[in-house]
Amino acid sequence: MNSSILNSKDINFASECHTELRKQFSRSRGVTLVNGNLTGNARSDGSGVSARVYKNGTYGFSSMAEVSDDAVRAVLKAATENAEFMSKHINKGKPNLPSVECGKYISTTPINETEQRVYIDFAREIDNYISKKYKDLKSRTVAIREDSSEKILRVSNGFDAHTKFIRSYVYVFLNSETPDGKPVELFKAFGGFGGFNSNFNNPADLYPEIDALYEKVMQKREGVYAEAGEKTVVLGGIMTGMLAHEAVGHTVEADLVLGGSVAGHNLGKQVASELVSLTDFANHAFGKDAPLPVYVDDEGVQAVDAKIIENGILVGYMNNRETAQHFGMTPCGNARAFSYSDEPLIRMRNTAVLPGKDKLADLIASVEDGYYLIDSGNGQADTTGEFMFGVSMGYEIKNGKLGRALLDTTISGVAFDMLKTVDMVSDEVVWSSSGYCGKKQPMPVGMGGPAVRCKVMIGGR
Amino acid sequence: MNGYKETAEFVLGLAKEKGAQKAFCYVLEGEKREFNVDGNEFSLFRTLFTRSVSITVFVEQRKGSVSINKFDKEEIAAAVENCIESAKSAMPDEAWEIAPFIGKKEFNGGVLTPDTDKLFFRAKELLENIKEKHPAVITEQMIVDYKSQKGVYMSTEGNEYYINNGSYSASLMYSAHEGEKSTSFYSSDVTVDNLDKPFIECAMIEKELSDIEKQIHTKPTEGKFEGRVIFAPNCVANTVFGNVCSNFAGDSAMLEGTSVWKDKLGETIADKRITVSFKPRDSRIINGQRFTGEGYLAEDYDLIKDGVLQSFMISQYVANKTGNKRAPNTSWDMVIEGGTTPLAEMIKNVKKGVLIGRFSGGSPGANGEFSGVAKNGFMIENGEIVSALSETMISGNLADMLFNLVDISKETLEDGGMVMPYMSFDGITISGK
Repeated sequence: MNSSILNSKDINFASECHTELRKQFSRSRGVTLVNGNLTGNARSDGSGVSARVYKNGTYGFSSMAEVSDDAVRAVLKAATENAEFMSKHINKGKPNLPSVECGKYISTTPINETEQRVYIDFAREIDNYISKKYKDLKSRTVAIREDSSEKILRVSNGFDAHTKFIRSYVYVFLNSETPDGKPVELFKAFGGFGGFNSNFNNPADLYPEIDALYEKVMQKREGVYAEAGEKTVVLGGIMTGMLAHEAVGHTVEADLVLGGSVAGHNLGKQVASELVSLTDFANHAFGKDAPLPVYVDDEGVQAVDAKIIENGILVGYMNNRETAQHFGMTPCGNARAFSYSDEPLIRMRNTAVLPGKDKLADLIASVEDGYYLIDSGNGQADTTGEFMFGVSMGYEIKNGKLGRALLDTTISGVAFDMLKTVDMVSDEVVWSSSGYCGKKQPMPVGMGGPAVRCKVMIGGR
Repeated sequence: MNGYKETAEFVLGLAKEKGAQKAFCYVLEGEKREFNVDGNEFSLFRTLFTRSVSITVFVEQRKGSVSINKFDKEEIAAAVENCIESAKSAMPDEAWEIAPFIGKKEFNGGVLTPDTDKLFFRAKELLENIKEKHPAVITEQMIVDYKSQKGVYMSTEGNEYYINNGSYSASLMYSAHEGEKSTSFYSSDVTVDNLDKPFIECAMIEKELSDIEKQIHTKPTEGKFEGRVIFAPNCVANTVFGNVCSNFAGDSAMLEGTSVWKDKLGETIADKRITVSFKPRDSRIINGQRFTGEGYLAEDYDLIKDGVLQSFMISQYVANKTGNKRAPNTSWDMVIEGGTTPLAEMIKNVKKGVLIGRFSGGSPGANGEFSGVAKNGFMIENGEIVSALSETMISGNLADMLFNLVDISKETLEDGGMVMPYMSFDGITISGK
């Protein structure tokens, strides 16, 4: 994508208003095989320009599905007029946004094109493997998704940037049923940040994990219902990550804090056991690349980690430039927009509970009568911190040993209450990054955590 | 390129030239004007101008789809070539089918010229009304917008459908607060084709705001019992019939063979008072579906009539795969007509149960088993609402539940996208601490 806009002398921003100008190209590629039927075979490309102008406490925004000098001028003019409209009718009398560090960032992430045939052949090979080897399954789905975006951002103050993002996944869903006919489904996502060709070489590389997934489905077929009530459980890293994102992360997004979330009156207070620390990582975590790295956000803020909970104390929120000014905090690069026609919103990046010092085996061995809950298919949480997560895979723990697999169940609770019951934290973080977070716009996010021992309400039957 | 028709004709001509036997495409332009409120204050005014060209081709019964948002001839030509290549990479499937020749149609509707000043006036009025009449409520987010689209659908079978429509809508997400106590969030939505009435008087927005103010002081449910649940209209649409339709009658469930209704067409699958229809052409639905993705003209139909399964909600593709008939439309414009019992009387008739506004839970299993947290609800005992609910779970089986209908309310939610009453069902497990 041409980056001349970064150096254009023709674009002048008004000095009294914060202005962002963004050119973006997004694309998605997908195939879906349901029981061998190719039900999805689609490619989508979208590009355009947008501008956002901040004046007297409100924003004006405009976008066009065109990438040209005329379009740039048109969206700047329309965004300015929209900001003036709001300023005239809703004048909050606020000053311009405070300055942030300025600079320039250019990503070197490669975004290469892959022919649709490559995805289809790969998915078919996996599907053939499953259908030939595991004839007792009721149904199977193999899907491949690759999505990417490339943005050129120019701001009146902050970091100008040319960012690139690409991730690719293979999803495998296996369905069976219990002896009395109840459906049993498990899925696994393979892949992560990077293009399909760099993440996947050979379908056979996935077979050992598909075999393991099948074994879990078979264990679940013979599974039992969890006993309802408050139980001591070991939450696996995937579950801890979901808790970090859904039940804590959303409540500390500063726009939701202003909307009345539970975090508003808990800043500086003990909200979790002192074993619990939680950070929204920008681009690196625990000495490695974060699952979905962000270097500069769409307001021109250089991305740094946002510390949320330190040793059980709520120490911060995730902000954009405006809410950071409101709360007297430093923006960490959480303002992200999905498509060229979207305005930046406060979004998570890679949100994780930090690891502790315990070993997972010791966590399990310490539970006399409880459950080890590993995977979740879905989760929802409230701005009160009340959460409900589906548990798609788990085991009984009896006298410190894993027992029978569990049928689907749910856990629920209030995050800041439940986190106070955490009394052991494992030393290994597990990440997931294959889904989208939904909040007006979709957004790819990473979430993770170690295994934790805690008390939680489990739904039973 | 100039003109929707010219663009669509270029796409179809090139697709045939490159080897497609059949193809269809949409060429659309859209406009959106949107006012946002965050945390009780106006935050943004945005205007968007969108374009899309969506192309689907069939080469020897191999299907490929590509969409772009450019009207330039070179980019469209590249997209067609890309689409042809995608299709050639696919496996042939005899089940793919698009609508035969129907002809030329025009579908105009709703608001074609927006009144932005009046829309802003209504948005400001809504926020002021909430602050004045419901002071405990914090509007976490409010989106008030005008959306329109204009363009054409064309297929190689000779179908030309011209689209030109627009509408206004308001979406609210809010919660009520008193000191450090707060309710769960709730959302209200409405789509309209005029701005004659204040938004707060539309759909059930006023009632839903009043209800949430009564949910600040909650009591958790003690123990576990089997009782009656009154589902509010949004919950009837999403939690009950949204899941019923996806799990028992939709494309995926039928194609995967997991639907428990797959062999029950013409059989009684619900209480005889239950009739569920999809009516995109109903006057209460704003700009409902006029034609399906496969090019068939949308017609209203009953999914369930007097408790009997009348149809599946499937595309022509899945119909061909499973030996059934396609659904006459593929919209979610769901209509369940109101009954004769006022909601107040439905509450009076509950010995022990709950009324819930929202359900927070995962997707039910393929067999309809569901379990999740009852949100924005009230405990009912001996015909009286005794407290608002917290930490209360409900569970049951959707297929069984449809036979345990108690009543359908006289009051209905009409939000421009559906018509939905309150409905009560017995035999649901309600559990707390």
